[in-house]
Amino acid sequence: MIVRLARAAVVTLILAIVLLPIYWMVSTSLKPNKEITQDGTLYPHAPSFENYTHLFSEKQFGNFLMNSVAVTVVSVVLALVAGSLGAYAIARFRLRFQLERWIGLSLLTLRIVPPVVILIPVYLLMLRLSLLDTWLGLILTYTALNITFCVWMMESFFREIPLDLEEAAMVDGDSRFAAFRRIVLPLAAPGLAATAIFAVIVTFNEFLFALVLTATPRAMTMPRGTATLIGRIDTDWASMSAAGVVGALPIVIFALLVQRHLVRGLTLGAVK
Amino acid sequence: MSIASRSIRRERLQGAGLDLALPYLLLAPSVLIALGVLVYPFWDGLRASTKFYRFGKPLREVGLGNYLQLWTDPQFINSLWVTVSFVTLAVAVETVLGLALALFCVREFRGIRLLRTMLIVPMVITPVVVAIVFRLIYASDAGMLTAISEAMGGQPVQILGDPTRAFLALVALDVWEWTPLMFLILLAGLQSLPVEPFEAARVDGAGPWRTFVDHTLPMLRPVIAIAIVLRTIDAFGTFDQVFVLTRGGPGEATRLLSIFGYDTAFKFQETGYAAALFVTMGLIVLALALAAVRLLRRVEAT
Repeated sequence: MIVRLARAAVVTLILAIVLLPIYWMVSTSLKPNKEITQDGTLYPHAPSFENYTHLFSEKQFGNFLMNSVAVTVVSVVLALVAGSLGAYAIARFRLRFQLERWIGLSLLTLRIVPPVVILIPVYLLMLRLSLLDTWLGLILTYTALNITFCVWMMESFFREIPLDLEEAAMVDGDSRFAAFRRIVLPLAAPGLAATAIFAVIVTFNEFLFALVLTATPRAMTMPRGTATLIGRIDTDWASMSAAGVVGALPIVIFALLVQRHLVRGLTLGAVK
Repeated sequence: MSIASRSIRRERLQGAGLDLALPYLLLAPSVLIALGVLVYPFWDGLRASTKFYRFGKPLREVGLGNYLQLWTDPQFINSLWVTVSFVTLAVAVETVLGLALALFCVREFRGIRLLRTMLIVPMVITPVVVAIVFRLIYASDAGMLTAISEAMGGQPVQILGDPTRAFLALVALDVWEWTPLMFLILLAGLQSLPVEPFEAARVDGAGPWRTFVDHTLPMLRPVIAIAIVLRTIDAFGTFDQVFVLTRGGPGEATRLLSIFGYDTAFKFQETGYAAALFVTMGLIVLALALAAVRLLRRVEAT
């Protein structure tokens, strides 16, 4: 009985720590500015969605979201296709000079170095290519950052699939491509899903490169656009909190929908 | 499967003729993109780091001058110190809390699924938004802490204006955001442990504390080590949250290496010096990772 009560208390405490900060942001976003800064009420006394409509009508938040979705989808798909093919080659073939091992190791090294290390030269590269403030500049950057991750993840998934299955299919007359499509791909599907989900979350949330590579609502992504709402002198709490809610919502819903795959992807590398 | 037998089997799959080119073709897109957008910029950054820039224009070669200058620059030393103490403190707290939480949740009970679902939220929310959430907690006018304090008849709470408090506020943000990841990794680790030693310990009449120290901790050590390494490397590159929460202030209290480098490059246009700073930072992280791999090998061997 006491154990059960203690357990319930701990669970409640943890939920409160996780949820109260989020509650406060949502609550702030439903208040008018005066109530936010002067009255300091604990809940909105006359909740209204005015901050939200303002966000879309005045601050071009719709543009930010559209840019984010487009850039994320394209770069994750590109990285996933290219990365899986590369990972399959590393997992299944022997190249000259053990090239596949060296490539795998190099990509892993690139993955470990914090991306901020290449921030300046990537900016200079996009400047030279006239790709600053465009979707394409962001897509190229995010595809590259995702590829190292996709190769590393997918390689371990491909290695788990027994070779015999493919060989059997090929002996039965399948071409290599048919064997890949009929045998390998379905077996690797859960791994592909975990990899894609992780890449989507990281890319949608990316801020650092968006900060230096974009400058106008034409290409600004959601995190980048949200940061511009934070004034230098006066903080516009109303827009900021509403932007936080709208910005967080898509990715939180997405993560909760694909929870199971997500947890597997997050914990995979560590426990193996 | 041993390496020798695997390589023989792989050759069996490898056909002849045009088929020999296949793996190279499969690898080409990944390698080309990585070369163009990661490796070339890295090389370019190395080159920039040996030049002296003024207003974003390279003026002259200085060799390793920028690198040497870093170690006599009190601002760099300070931000290195801030980064190291931030990472150490945050990761330590996250490990202890995450482990406690994982031990607490390893036995199934009602409500655990809800808990696990809710714990995903902090780490998937956009880091920029996490920073907004915490600005809304700490702000002296609109903040949650001020509102609570005033509701109880107290004064507005001042946090982000004070160096020590702002630093701890940043650590608290990181703990809120990333303890769940520690928890999930350690929980998965706990659940993958064999049951027999624990049953034996129970038969021997060992208490929960003894069981934890004698069995759980030693067996979980590799997983804990990997979790700490992953988190440390990741925390070293923290940028978004600080940029939105404090911009590195007040003064230099929360100015991590990444923020200092960003300001040096894009605010003060000292591109070469900033490039040298980032290269140094990358080397530190790589050295950490290499040391960690060695340590892990030894941990796993014992």
